[in-house]
Amino acid sequence: MDASSQHAALHIDPKLLARVVKGDHQAFSQLYDQSSTLIYTMALRILGDRDEAAELLQDVYLEVWRKVSRYDVGRGTPVAWLVTLTRSRAIDRLRARAARAHPKSTDSLDSASAAQVQDQGPNPFDAQADQEIRTLVGGAMAALPQAQQQALELAYYEGLSHAEIAARLNQPLGTVKTRIKLGMSKLRESLRRCWEQGEHV
Amino acid sequence: MTHEELEEAVPLYAAGALERSERQALEAHLLSGCVSCHTALKEFQSVAAILPFGLSPSQPPRALKAKIMAARAPAAIAEDAPEKIEPKPSLEPGEWMNHLFPPESAAPTWSFGWAGGVAAVAILAIGGYFAWASSAKNATGTAAVQPLQAASEDQTKKVTALQQQLDERDREIARVKDELHQRTTDSTDLKDQLLQREAELEDLKFQFTARGSVPASREPEDEFAALLRVPNAKTVSLNGSDMAKQASGMLVYDARTKKAWLYAMNLPECPNGTTYQLLAIDDKPVSVGTFHMDSGDTAHLLVSRVPEFSKTKKFAVSLEPSGGRPAPTGPIYLASQS
Repeated sequence: MDASSQHAALHIDPKLLARVVKGDHQAFSQLYDQSSTLIYTMALRILGDRDEAAELLQDVYLEVWRKVSRYDVGRGTPVAWLVTLTRSRAIDRLRARAARAHPKSTDSLDSASAAQVQDQGPNPFDAQADQEIRTLVGGAMAALPQAQQQALELAYYEGLSHAEIAARLNQPLGTVKTRIKLGMSKLRESLRRCWEQGEHV
Repeated sequence: MTHEELEEAVPLYAAGALERSERQALEAHLLSGCVSCHTALKEFQSVAAILPFGLSPSQPPRALKAKIMAARAPAAIAEDAPEKIEPKPSLEPGEWMNHLFPPESAAPTWSFGWAGGVAAVAILAIGGYFAWASSAKNATGTAAVQPLQAASEDQTKKVTALQQQLDERDREIARVKDELHQRTTDSTDLKDQLLQREAELEDLKFQFTARGSVPASREPEDEFAALLRVPNAKTVSLNGSDMAKQASGMLVYDARTKKAWLYAMNLPECPNGTTYQLLAIDDKPVSVGTFHMDSGDTAHLLVSRVPEFSKTKKFAVSLEPSGGRPAPTGPIYLASQS
């Protein structure tokens, strides 16, 4: 990776997006370098397929290039905007695929995990700041009871509603809601430390 | 949904786990300006936005960057543009986070975006015409260019017309909004009036009950009998004057309806062209109502409104020409003790 990747995805400067708005190619290139690993990782987790994840990445960055002027710094950080956009587009794809009853959907989880294990490079996130947030979020997620983690991941990465999760897990609706609520609340508590250190995302 | 339920839905909203209807209910609640839910949502959305950092990272294919950088070329965008007009099944990326802060200009942004989309398609269409025009020029000469230019001007006019229509729609929306506001105000007024009427009705019902469940028959005599049982009804007895010593009368006043019932007995029959007139006397006598005694009548009931009962010092009944007179002119037949 080139020198610009020394900046972490967590700390994408809103000014960088302002430059992209003006059609600055170098700024766009830097934005890609800072964020593409995170965005691709997320796309792969949701879609479970490398080709589709790559297609999604192309869609997302082209949408960013065209619609970056819609980004409003008052509503969140650049990385939050990118993550939200990516999740939304990836879940759209997932649903479109489910509607077509594509066979890939059945083994998405397994192939995603397999792909990730295989793909772990020696130093995928260069920046120290991203290492910290990765450890923090990974640790907070791992500290959740398995059932809460599972419910949260089904909602966030598979786009399932609480009712769909309850049906999938064969659990009462109230139980699923409580798991997600507790999971989110515990994550919030764990991550507050991070925000208090001025790394508010 | 109760506020507690809405509050509990906030973390589920941020995790993307709510059903559509629940999401809409919470969004409506957030738009209503609930500060505590807003603050909670902001925090939970911040959590949701960094969740992917917890995944084991994967590098995108190296060739992808060059492909994406190249795909941003204007030609590629032009190819993509029409398909992007299709409605997306889920929320726009901004919308998922819109409630981090109040979406103060959500609707205008949308409408402007739509206008922009229409304009962009139109401009592409015009561009297409010009491109085609320029190649046609080489092939067929300048004579062919003019109709194409005319066509492109035509397109420009159409775009302008579309813009005007759009502006017109916007104005219409503003008008409808105003009207809606007006209607809302009107309906609030009507509601107030309705409440007022309901209160009056309630009051009347209460009086009805207070009068001891008057039977279905609404004969004045029955009402009079019921009135006599109203606890705070005021009664005034009237005695016959020298004109009719055996006559007597009783006047009952109900303060809640401001009505007076006069029960007059043994008054002589009215001669032709005359009538009895009830007078409320304060500083000067005021006619309250008239009634007639025919031959053979022994009693008569008069029901009439007496707005200023408390000021009235004396009641009297005089014999007056038909239709009554504003002030008494004839002899007094009945009078109360002052």
